[in-house]
Amino acid sequence: MDGGERSGDDSSTITRRTALGGTAGLAAAVLIDAGAAVSAAPAPPPGATLLIKPIVNGRVTPVTIDPRTSLLDLLRELLGLTGAKKGCDHGQCGACTVHIDGRRVASCLTLAAKTDGRAVTTIEGLADGDGLHPMQQAFIDHDALQCGYCTPGQIMAAVACIREGKATSRASIREAMSGNICRCGAYVGIVDAIADVAGKGRRV
Amino acid sequence: MTSAPFPNRPRVDALDKVLGATKYAADYALPNLLYAMQVPATIAKGRVTALSIDAAMRVAGVVKVLTAGDFPPPPAAQQGAPPPPATITRDIAYRGQPVALVVAETLEAAIQGAEAIRPTYAADATFTATIDGKGAVRQPVQPTVGGNATTAMVQAVTRHSAEYVSPAQHHNPMEMLSTTAVWEGGVLTVYEGTQGSNAVKGALMRNLRLTSEQVVVKSPQVGGGFGQKGGAQRHTALVARAAMLLGRPVKLVVPRGQIFHNASFRPKNRHRIEIGADAAGKMIAVRYDADQQQSREGQFPPNYHETPPMMYGIPDYHGTAANIRIDTQAPGYMRAPTPHPSSFAFDSAVDELAVKLGVDPVAFRLRHRATRDPIDDKPFSSCFLHECLSEGARRFGWKGRPLAPGAMVRPDGTQVGWGVGCGAYPANVHPNIATLRVGADGTTRFAAAGHEMGQGIRSTIEQILVRDLAIDPARLEIAIGDTSVAPQHVTAGSWGTASVVPAAEQAAAKLKAAIAELLAGRSPGGNLHRQLAAVRRPFVQVEVTTVGPGQGDKDVARLRQGGMAVSGPEYPAFTSFSYIAHFVEVHVEPHTRRIRVPRVVSIADCGRVVSPRTAESQVRGGVVWGISACLREATEVDPRFGGWLNNDLADYVVAVNADIGEIDVGFIDRPDMQFNSLGAKGLGEVAMTGCAAAIANAVFHATGTRLREMPFRIEDLL
Amino acid sequence: MRPFTYVRPDSAQAAIEAFAAAGPGARYIAGGTSLYDLMKLDIERPEHLIDVTAIRGLDGIETDGDRLRFEALAPMSAVAINRVVLRDYPVLAESLAKAASQQLRNMATVGGNLLQRTRCLYFRNGAGGVSAGMTYPCNKREPGSGCAAIGGLDRGQAVLGQSRSCTAVSPGDWPVALVALDAYVEILGRQGTRSLPVADLYRLPGGTPHLEFALTPGEIITAIVVPKAAAGRQSTYHKIRDRESYAFALASAAVALDMAGDTVRQARIALGGVATRPWRAVAAEAQLAGKQLTRETAIIAGRAALTGAKAGDHNGFKIELAARTVADALMIAAQRKPA
Repeated sequence: MDGGERSGDDSSTITRRTALGGTAGLAAAVLIDAGAAVSAAPAPPPGATLLIKPIVNGRVTPVTIDPRTSLLDLLRELLGLTGAKKGCDHGQCGACTVHIDGRRVASCLTLAAKTDGRAVTTIEGLADGDGLHPMQQAFIDHDALQCGYCTPGQIMAAVACIREGKATSRASIREAMSGNICRCGAYVGIVDAIADVAGKGRRV
Repeated sequence: MTSAPFPNRPRVDALDKVLGATKYAADYALPNLLYAMQVPATIAKGRVTALSIDAAMRVAGVVKVLTAGDFPPPPAAQQGAPPPPATITRDIAYRGQPVALVVAETLEAAIQGAEAIRPTYAADATFTATIDGKGAVRQPVQPTVGGNATTAMVQAVTRHSAEYVSPAQHHNPMEMLSTTAVWEGGVLTVYEGTQGSNAVKGALMRNLRLTSEQVVVKSPQVGGGFGQKGGAQRHTALVARAAMLLGRPVKLVVPRGQIFHNASFRPKNRHRIEIGADAAGKMIAVRYDADQQQSREGQFPPNYHETPPMMYGIPDYHGTAANIRIDTQAPGYMRAPTPHPSSFAFDSAVDELAVKLGVDPVAFRLRHRATRDPIDDKPFSSCFLHECLSEGARRFGWKGRPLAPGAMVRPDGTQVGWGVGCGAYPANVHPNIATLRVGADGTTRFAAAGHEMGQGIRSTIEQILVRDLAIDPARLEIAIGDTSVAPQHVTAGSWGTASVVPAAEQAAAKLKAAIAELLAGRSPGGNLHRQLAAVRRPFVQVEVTTVGPGQGDKDVARLRQGGMAVSGPEYPAFTSFSYIAHFVEVHVEPHTRRIRVPRVVSIADCGRVVSPRTAESQVRGGVVWGISACLREATEVDPRFGGWLNNDLADYVVAVNADIGEIDVGFIDRPDMQFNSLGAKGLGEVAMTGCAAAIANAVFHATGTRLREMPFRIEDLL
Repeated sequence: MRPFTYVRPDSAQAAIEAFAAAGPGARYIAGGTSLYDLMKLDIERPEHLIDVTAIRGLDGIETDGDRLRFEALAPMSAVAINRVVLRDYPVLAESLAKAASQQLRNMATVGGNLLQRTRCLYFRNGAGGVSAGMTYPCNKREPGSGCAAIGGLDRGQAVLGQSRSCTAVSPGDWPVALVALDAYVEILGRQGTRSLPVADLYRLPGGTPHLEFALTPGEIITAIVVPKAAAGRQSTYHKIRDRESYAFALASAAVALDMAGDTVRQARIALGGVATRPWRAVAAEAQLAGKQLTRETAIIAGRAALTGAKAGDHNGFKIELAARTVADALMIAAQRKPA
């Protein structure tokens, strides 16, 4: 029984042998690098019938999807881009915010099918090269985060907030950032970070 | 021993977080991953009489449906330990309880499969969904008594009594509950955002009959917990069982509506308070009866008397508390679990008494200095509530505040009010077993018990290690929240920092001593890594075990077993609490009566502040929670149906950015050297306590209307 | 979510043909912020999705001439910042800017937004999907099953226009502003084009709350037309919510004033958040015509706007709140500079 533990109840006994019964021939479960660049199309999952070619973070990314797939699930589950987060799956929290053709959207309520031929930018593609985007630096400087889960969405929304010309006052920033819930309550730092970047007048 | 102030350094994991590179439980990419979805029960009470999996199995991509028969029977009771969450059972105790788990090749198929399952139920229509419903069972617990409040109350010249109510609320951390389970080589590895990786492990061992060696739980980063992720979740064993039966990794991200129904929540609670003051206008007696919503089997204790006796040195205190058992899932710990609602009630009552006496509410509080715990009759190790009040009043500009309500009105008719509210939170601690290793290759690794859920525990550890050791901070790994690196204790109750930083400090000292011994008088120069390289030593590793005041081997043994090993706030020689004072300005619109909170000043006494930057953020977060709890949040039950009606983030209204104004945070930053070597108490929960009372008191000052039931909604002032 | 086929035609005509070819179970999808959400809740179960967002030349904004014309696919966010709209019709810009979040306004179209379905909790949560395990009776979702909101937690329910079958609130902001300005929609179907006042797009629930819109299957809203009016500049959309932003209205008022000095020549008033459809407050308008606008006349008009309102168990406050919201909106609009 190599290492299998028996409890007093036979019907519930789990051993390595029984539990591994179904695994013969399966590759060992090893963590793969989720951040690896996507160059070739990932193998289509069962049920995938629709070929789309979004331009994800600057690269044409052909992928065959189930038409039901959200952009968020495409990014996270098929393309390994896990920066965008699922916080509600209903467009109510902003954690999944990415840019499509330069505009911020809720990727959980975007059918992935709609992104065919369109430019999708995620937190992973925000900065030029290896450095930080000024907004990312400002979020560090102002401690505009705690658990960090909403942070990628906040930053994508924050960049858009400036591009939209809405970072004109703290009140205007607050309103423009109200589609991104931060349950840790880092709102003051988030406003500080955006005001800081906007105040420097740099193009974002 | 002394403890000098700490420098303001960036949050240690901020870089990864702004890059979106931080991995949360649902972010691990695994080959051959399967997706799971739970099927929620659509009755409030009763039994599943038939459940066909045929329709689900016909969905393309569905590989298995787990039902009650796929799980071992409940494990035998274990002395001293609560039972693990049930798995899938045919008996339904609450709406939304899982009746099946569908596993599929894709998320889309898993969802479709789950929707295809429509069990037949024998519904029990006699369920009780609210605490005033027929069938609610009241169960008192032991009263909390100091002195003789009944006798003292007779002496009182001025009395105030009223009832206050706090609603059911849900934590709603942004990271939804999720589990990814891998069964490989007889070992189950579970990725789950949890504040209690060992609690999750223990529940899996018991539910699935696995040994300690067979289970690893990894929770290196939690996307917010607030108490909801403090214990084992019901879904975890379901996902793990699926992974074991199928031999492939399985991931479940629990939809938020299911979280509302299956995870814990803050129960509705009620407070009847009477406070008496003597002829000199000093509070001398308190009678306080509290009760709370409870599930039929729930264990969350109604500890509403934890903090009120510790605030103002009132000698005679009589508190009762009771559970009211109804048909719901088990309530539990949510940020400042009982101190938030009890401080709302108690500090509102204190304010009402001050109004009755015609005394400024800050001056009134300053008449009362707490030096001893009246319940256990012990001195406080430290209490700087007066300092919080004085500093807060200064920063806020309290001086000159008109005593009468309704006196500050803007030209447009907006009513302005200023309120103060105070809170306290127990200073608890658990043992820790830490290993510290410094390598000649430039790396440092610290492993201990602790979970990072945004409070900044890694940043506090880093502060100690970079203060005490000449190491490369860029290559410092802080391994916590992982049952394979050290015994893990639940991280909650504001005990994280106080339980880990002394371990970091002692480990650093021991490591320095070990290297000094190794160098034997030589001084090769450079940092520790270079020194080790110079003497051709690949690394030095030390292990330390720390305990809190009065703790010993028994507590360490409990930690090693993965159990609860918390002490406090009463210790052999003293009692320890953290304190805070909040000053709030509210604006109330003249006609549509919206309440706004443009500014808050909060001054906290948490002993020594170990990480100033993350501490400040934590207090701001606590204030946001106070505002949100007081003005926004309530989870609602339709008694005809049970369950939670507003179970998403559109309808369970939490504060958004536009709801929050400026929040100025300050610290007394005086170490409590009786409590531990750094003088650090806890912070995360005290940050929220008293804030709701400050808002209520400010609303009264603005309008003359006293609101005693949260949340304060627009209709309450119309 | 049920599987569906997905096509993305590039012309309106092709979309209509695709709809007809697909047969029952076909639905158009534009931004998807409402439909896809309801599909996730297992409330909407389309078998065929015809994505209209690739239709070329259907997202224009025309502000010349005697009308404003917004093509249906213009994003809400684009119309909200149009310079002419901002300057001359703040009621329109504000109704858009106060809806949802910028992320959703970038996705949602001005045409699709007209067809947003109710946020009634018993409607949304009750389909028994994977989200919460709720199964509530709802005549809108399942005709004939009953209405759980009546006698339930009805704080959010309508006080105007409700029936014994349904009390669900019409959730939109933009349609309320359009109704105040007598806007109409252009509709394309297999039979050609027609136009319809926005007010008439919405049906009262009566005994058939599942029939919400006066469109026949396969028809597409192609444009929204707002006749230009002098009242536009002195206008506002005032929205009261349970939080400062990113929430549906407890009560809202779209107001546009044509003033002669302090005297109201004509007022246009519509209510949101309190009625089963965008609610034009004709009685309030009549009340104000020819009167001097003061706080007193404004609140009298506000009360008139709620004529016939009927409260349930927990939503009585909405009647007073909406009256005051109208009054505040009138005062805000009056302070704006006339054309």
